[in-house]
Amino acid sequence: DEESSSPAKKRPRNKQRVLLLSSRGITHRMRHLMNDLEALLPQVKKDSKLDSKNHLNLIPELADLNNCNNALYFEARRHEDLYLWAVKTPNGPSIKMHVQNVHTMDELKMTGNCLKGSRGVLSFDKAFDESEWGKLTKEVFTQIFGVPPSARKAKPFVDHILTFSILDNKIWFRNFQIIEKDPLQPNGPPQTSLIEIGPRFVLTPIRIFEGAFGGATVYSNPEFVSPAAIRSSIRREKGQKYGMRKQ
Amino acid sequence: EDIVPTQKVEIDNEIALERIRETIRLDPSMPWTETLTVTFPESIDVDVDDDLNRELAFYKQALHGAAEAKSLAAKHGLPFTRPSDYFAEMVKSDAHMERIRQRLLDESATIKRSE
Repeated sequence: DEESSSPAKKRPRNKQRVLLLSSRGITHRMRHLMNDLEALLPQVKKDSKLDSKNHLNLIPELADLNNCNNALYFEARRHEDLYLWAVKTPNGPSIKMHVQNVHTMDELKMTGNCLKGSRGVLSFDKAFDESEWGKLTKEVFTQIFGVPPSARKAKPFVDHILTFSILDNKIWFRNFQIIEKDPLQPNGPPQTSLIEIGPRFVLTPIRIFEGAFGGATVYSNPEFVSPAAIRSSIRREKGQKYGMRKQ
Repeated sequence: EDIVPTQKVEIDNEIALERIRETIRLDPSMPWTETLTVTFPESIDVDVDDDLNRELAFYKQALHGAAEAKSLAAKHGLPFTRPSDYFAEMVKSDAHMERIRQRLLDESATIKRSE
C-alpha cells in the first residue's frame, strides 16, 4: 500500500496503519504496555482479544477489515510469558519476539511527557545495519512504529524520540521526551536535553517467517531458549539436588 | 548446569531476508519527513548488567538522534518544537504527572529527614 493514492500526485507517501491486538490471558502489565503503545502511536487500531491461539491466520483478515497493512500481536503464554509478533500483512514477513523487562508509562519513576499522538523520531543504532535480519527488522519497525504524517490523530510537532538498540542480541526499546529549553534558564540559549517517558521493554528475536503468521522460516535465533525451558531446567536442578541428598 | 540441552538448528537465510526486505521497503525517493527515521552511527557496546552505563548509552543515542532530527526537520521545513502556547492532550494525564511530582517531593522529604 505504499503507492500514492492518486496518479496525479507523484509524491510517494508513507501509508501505514497498524492493527494492535492480544491473545487471551494477558496480565495487567501486558495490557498496560499495549495501552501505552496505543497512546504513543496514533496510526494504531486496537482490536479485541483474539480467542484462539491456533488460528493466527485470522489476523491478516482482521487487519484487512480494519484497513491495516501491519499487525502487532501480543501473545501471552501461561499468564507470564509474553511474545510479540510484528507482521506486515497480508504478505509478510513476520517477526516473532519474546518480550521481557516491561516497564509501563504508568509507573511513577519516569517524569517525561509528550503530546498524545505527536510523531516520534525513530532512532536505530548501527548494529541493525550489520546483519540481514537486523536490516529487515529495521525496515519493519520503521513502518510499524513510525507515525505517518497522514495519521488522523497526529499532532504537528515532534517532541519525543523512540530508540531501538541492539545489545546482547536483544532489541532494547526506550522513549524519551525532547526538551529544547533548559528548565533552569528558560531565557537562555536553547539546549536539547531528554527525559525518559516510558514504556521500556526488551525484545529477543526468535524467528522471522516469510509470510504473515506463517510460511518458511528465514531466520532463527540459535541463542533463544524458551522461558519455560529455563524454568524447567531450574526445577530439574533443584530436584537433582534433593535426589542427591536423599541417596 | 548449562541451560541449552539440545543443539538447535540455526537458520539465517540472508538471500531470502534481503529479497523480503526489497519487496516491503518504502520508496527510497520518499522524503525524510514521511518516516522521521535516524540512525546512530555507533553500536551500543556496554556491559548489559551495568544499568547506569547502559541507560547512558541509550540516552546518548537518543540525544544524537534528537539533534539530527532537529536539523533534518529544519532542512525539510517540518515544524519541530512545540510552541509554549500550544496545548493539547498529553500521553500522561495531569493527574498522573501530579502523582509523579508528589512522589518526587515525598522522596526528597524523606532524604532531608534522614540527614
